[in-house]
Amino acid sequence: MGGQTLARRSGVERGGVAVQHYLDVMVSILPFLWTGFVQTFWISLVAIAAGSVLGFLIGVVRSQRVPLLHQLFGLYIHVLRGTPFLVQLYVFYFVMPNTGIEALQWSSETAAFVSLSVYTSSYVAEIVMAAIDAVPKGQWEAATALGLRRLPILGLVVLPQALKLAVPPMSGVYVNIIKNTAILSVIGISELTRQGEISIMRFPRDVLFIYGAIALVYFVYCYPVLRFTRWAERKVGGTRVVNLD
Amino acid sequence: MNWVLDFYNYRIVEQYLGRFAEGLENTLIAAAVSLGAAVILGTMLALCRMSSRAILWRPAAGYAAFILATPLLVQIYLIYYGLPALIPAAGRWSELTLGIIALSLHNAAYMGEIVRGGIASVPRGQIEGGKAVGMSYLQRLRYIVLPQAFANTLPPLLGQTAVLIKDTSLLSIIAVFDFLSAGLLLNSERVRPNESFLTIALGYLAIYVVMLSLSWAVKRWLAGPAWNVGA
Repeated sequence: MGGQTLARRSGVERGGVAVQHYLDVMVSILPFLWTGFVQTFWISLVAIAAGSVLGFLIGVVRSQRVPLLHQLFGLYIHVLRGTPFLVQLYVFYFVMPNTGIEALQWSSETAAFVSLSVYTSSYVAEIVMAAIDAVPKGQWEAATALGLRRLPILGLVVLPQALKLAVPPMSGVYVNIIKNTAILSVIGISELTRQGEISIMRFPRDVLFIYGAIALVYFVYCYPVLRFTRWAERKVGGTRVVNLD
Repeated sequence: MNWVLDFYNYRIVEQYLGRFAEGLENTLIAAAVSLGAAVILGTMLALCRMSSRAILWRPAAGYAAFILATPLLVQIYLIYYGLPALIPAAGRWSELTLGIIALSLHNAAYMGEIVRGGIASVPRGQIEGGKAVGMSYLQRLRYIVLPQAFANTLPPLLGQTAVLIKDTSLLSIIAVFDFLSAGLLLNSERVRPNESFLTIALGYLAIYVVMLSLSWAVKRWLAGPAWNVGA
């Protein structure tokens, strides 16, 4: 019956009703979107920080070409880049607790955090190593000639130059990590996408509108980082040190 | 020998080999079809993006920004739930079809960036030379720009293809029976996470190794200035 009265109304009025409806939906899902965004923001920030530290260490170690370690970490990177993040998440979430080791009985939050950090580290390690390799050999030789040892050369001469080169690809990876937090919704982390799914249970007819709103929130979060990447790329000289598949 | 079976009972995996093969087939179909569509769409996007007309490059740039700054999972949901709302007939399409559409639209933006980089790497003088001998826009594209751009595009394109194959795993979330779904099925029927997820991980690693050796072969095949300048 409601539909019939609606059909009899004029086009303008109907448009007004639709706008009013979407406004109502927006107002009622806004708290959900906000909680989801805060959760997405924190988990991406923490995973980026932890993953960058881990990846930085691995990258520096790998750049020194220590025989066994280099290959070992190379395998680590290939395994992480060769499997989808979703599969890694399932492995951390389902397989780790199945080992029966007490310390690996993780909650879904821990599994999400660890898998995302480990995933981040594989990309960061590759970038850091490539950036260190991109610093001209002459810098090493000049510093050696001045009587510096390996660690001071690395810390005082090479890394400051390498890190500058690493900024553009690094921020590209960060965008990727932020986007990958959406996948965490499948193990029930209540981040943005999951909150959207919950909102859809309340407004099942507005699926498209709600997912559109979620996409918009991600866009607002990621786009500035993306622009920063472009800007930094130009600033550093436009040379892509690493091919970020 | 018993501890091996405790940890990884390959006999269970053997029982599910048929399902794994079925899933792998769907994964490869999804990857192949969306790769083809994404390359075609991406080339068109790149050409629009490089046009001097605002009506062409602005929408293309906006599209690329939207795709690059939102998660693939959300895009898949948008297509899966949204497309049937826009096109009623899409409601009858299979999950695989809708998944392939989402993957194609997603990867088109990435392929567009790659093709654009490849085209930009062709020196300006080449195009001017083509103009000087009286070639039309399409002729210049076909005989001068695209062949040279191709060599600079192939390595990053292969890299993106490896990512695309990994991304097909997200289709399992919208109930496409892909390779990952076969593992999920095993886990839900037998409750053996090791057998299901480690097998899946190994399967994807095998695909990755194939892609890696392919890209090495291409690198060697293209070895020369084209490879060293590009990517």
